[in-house]
Amino acid sequence: MLKSEESNLIIKSDTMSSIWENYKTDNAYDELMFAEYQPRAVSHTLCQYLNTLNREDIDKRKTAAELAILEMGITFTVYSDEGNIDRAWPFDIIPRIIDAREWKIIDKGLKQRLTALNCFISDVYDQQTFIKENLIPREIISSSKNFRKECVGIKPKHNVWANICGTDLVRDKDGIMYVLEDNLRVPSGVSYMLENRVITKRVFPELLQDIEILPIDDYPTQLHEMLCSIAPNPNGKPQIAVLTPGIYNSAYFEHAYLAQQMGAQLVEGGDLVVDDDDCVYMRTIEGHEKVDVIYRRIDDDFLDPEVFRKDSILGVPGLMRAWKAGNVALANAPGAGVADDKVVYAYVPEMIRYYLNEEPILPNVETYLCSNPEHLDYVLKHLAELVVKPANESGGYGMLVGPHATAKEVEAFRKVVMGNPRNYIAQPTLAISTSPTLCKNKLEPRHIDLRPFILQGENTFVTAGGLTRVALKKGSLVVNSSQGGGSKDTWIINMETN
Amino acid sequence: MLSRSAERLYWLARYLERTENIARQVNVHMNLLMDLPKDVEMGWQHLIQINGCKDAFYSRYSSTQERNVTRFLLTDTTHPGSLLSSLSFARENIRTSRELMPDEAWRQVNELYLYSNKQIDAIINRRSRVLFLNEILEGCQRFNGLLSGYMSHDNAYRFIRLGRNIERADMTTRILELGSILLSEARSPSARQYENILWMNILQSLNALLMYRRHVRSRIKDDDVLNYLLLDEALPRSVNCCLFEMADAIKSLPNHNQLPEKLAELQDYVKSIDTRQTTQTQLRVILDHLQSRLGVLHAQIAKHWFLNSTQDQIQSSPKTEEQNSA
Repeated sequence: MLKSEESNLIIKSDTMSSIWENYKTDNAYDELMFAEYQPRAVSHTLCQYLNTLNREDIDKRKTAAELAILEMGITFTVYSDEGNIDRAWPFDIIPRIIDAREWKIIDKGLKQRLTALNCFISDVYDQQTFIKENLIPREIISSSKNFRKECVGIKPKHNVWANICGTDLVRDKDGIMYVLEDNLRVPSGVSYMLENRVITKRVFPELLQDIEILPIDDYPTQLHEMLCSIAPNPNGKPQIAVLTPGIYNSAYFEHAYLAQQMGAQLVEGGDLVVDDDDCVYMRTIEGHEKVDVIYRRIDDDFLDPEVFRKDSILGVPGLMRAWKAGNVALANAPGAGVADDKVVYAYVPEMIRYYLNEEPILPNVETYLCSNPEHLDYVLKHLAELVVKPANESGGYGMLVGPHATAKEVEAFRKVVMGNPRNYIAQPTLAISTSPTLCKNKLEPRHIDLRPFILQGENTFVTAGGLTRVALKKGSLVVNSSQGGGSKDTWIINMETN
Repeated sequence: MLSRSAERLYWLARYLERTENIARQVNVHMNLLMDLPKDVEMGWQHLIQINGCKDAFYSRYSSTQERNVTRFLLTDTTHPGSLLSSLSFARENIRTSRELMPDEAWRQVNELYLYSNKQIDAIINRRSRVLFLNEILEGCQRFNGLLSGYMSHDNAYRFIRLGRNIERADMTTRILELGSILLSEARSPSARQYENILWMNILQSLNALLMYRRHVRSRIKDDDVLNYLLLDEALPRSVNCCLFEMADAIKSLPNHNQLPEKLAELQDYVKSIDTRQTTQTQLRVILDHLQSRLGVLHAQIAKHWFLNSTQDQIQSSPKTEEQNSA
């Protein structure tokens, strides 16, 4: 991976009003700072600019950003005992920066990875050669709750099952970006990535003039094009709908946002009906109108009560029938989640070698599979040092961060893992990178990750950057917004032209 | 266009128009209080009466003092017909229809809502209440302006026009009712001489004073004002004009079936009202009747376009707060 150069700028931190006072880069890699008070070359302009601001100035900009978020109504919903609350999106105004030269490599690596994953999913629901050649134990697939036997034999367009993928990347102490997980079911966050840039433009207009940041606002267009490319009938303008579970879903804002940006219909299950001709229709003021492509933001389980959970009122009875008949495209395809499993994750490098005959560009984090007796043994011995995750949960729920847990929590988790080893994986606790984050009115290092979004239909597209999530609590490694995380704008900067 | 979306837009427009109209009612009442001499009695109970929410009011408050009535009508969120409740229903409806609207429209409603929530205490004081009401009126007008300038005048827009105008027509009848009640109660000769001021304020509350002077070109007297506000063909808040707007929107909507005829009947009925021949009591009966016919029209609109969406959806969507008619 590319080495980062330092800048010749030294930050003043002598005065009490400096926002950099006591900024320590800890033991982790800092995305903006090369050494104490010395920025990386890529963050030179930003740090120079921040240097001209005192605490009061920065506070004003923070307030402006918060106001913008409130007015634009950028919210997410938190589930709690007192009911669902609409919270303002927690946003840190200090951007995270990546050199365009490094990004070029990451971009390539992400495309490679998703291509291999889609080959794997196609294979799993077809010939299963990967399994037959003993590259993955059959039980891992057959015991995966995201393997849908109903999908066997189906061939989605372009052989792509996961059309929209959100891949989580983290940078370890060694400066290398690792893939932490692939989200192939209904990954969310892209609307926040887009809105973060809008807010940054409002808060730092003078700064954005001087830096060449790769634009990100073509995502809705790319998404629209990808969805058109998977329509059953490629001629004419396909009718596209975003299927949402409704206003009480935590990502409802995003569903509405994407539908609006694409000029697509935002529909709930009750708005759709599958007729005797196995086609999907919307209930409109003019009667029933045919739908060609559904970007569904509902989990497989709830998609079609005729096939999956019978008690689902969010889905559309008959939807699977229509999909199998080839009358409607579903993105992502049902069953795509089989590759979104933290156990299957461990086999992705092998998939890249097997299907593409290439070496993986982006490395995996070392992963111990508790289903493997040797691995399990190691995990149980080193529980207090490892991060242990359930194979199929998202949102940071139900995981153990060994070094941050009490002895009692570790022991309780030991029982849970032993009770169902297949369902757990463990990874070393990474010293994931930090980035300067505004805490009160000065900067402090906080741990971050990155979720780029990859689209695959006829073509493959990667966002320029992605959503940077930040653990706002000091020392915390959990960045999920449902667990007190925030987010940052992500800048991919072209150094050659700056 | 989804039936559910059509329904939400219709209710969005109704609730926003209602928000604006409650502000207008309270405004006109305060202006009258300032214009009329102290010995002319004019209580706040009339505002409760014309909105047909006596029961709701007395279940929460014991007397119709200014403080209670203004809180009840403006900021009491336990009362679904209050300004703040209407605004928050409007916001819920637009929040769930964002994909159909220019972004600025959502922001306008959201900002107005955030602002209003901060003004809950300010409305106790008359001076800050006036400022608050003005901000509401302007905010609602900004929203209408945004849509007229930014939004395609398509079916979605037509449902907004429908909702806005049915609510507006209803409110004009209620403000006329207020005038009529005040007039019949003011028996003393000293009050009678202020009749003129009363009608002037009524006109002003519907932004119609200047237009009245230009178009009617007579001194301000009751039957002329009534005629003007019911029948004028150009004034945006006259009942006739609202019906015309609705007819215009309906005729371009798909599957309108018998609705244009039904609307034409209603228009004929309004045109047949002869304000010169009616007593104040008769007038109030007519206005009540007009309100219930608007209610019937609403039911017909819902039956035509909204009931296509499934039953459970209608119950779960945020729009279904019943109109608070008497």
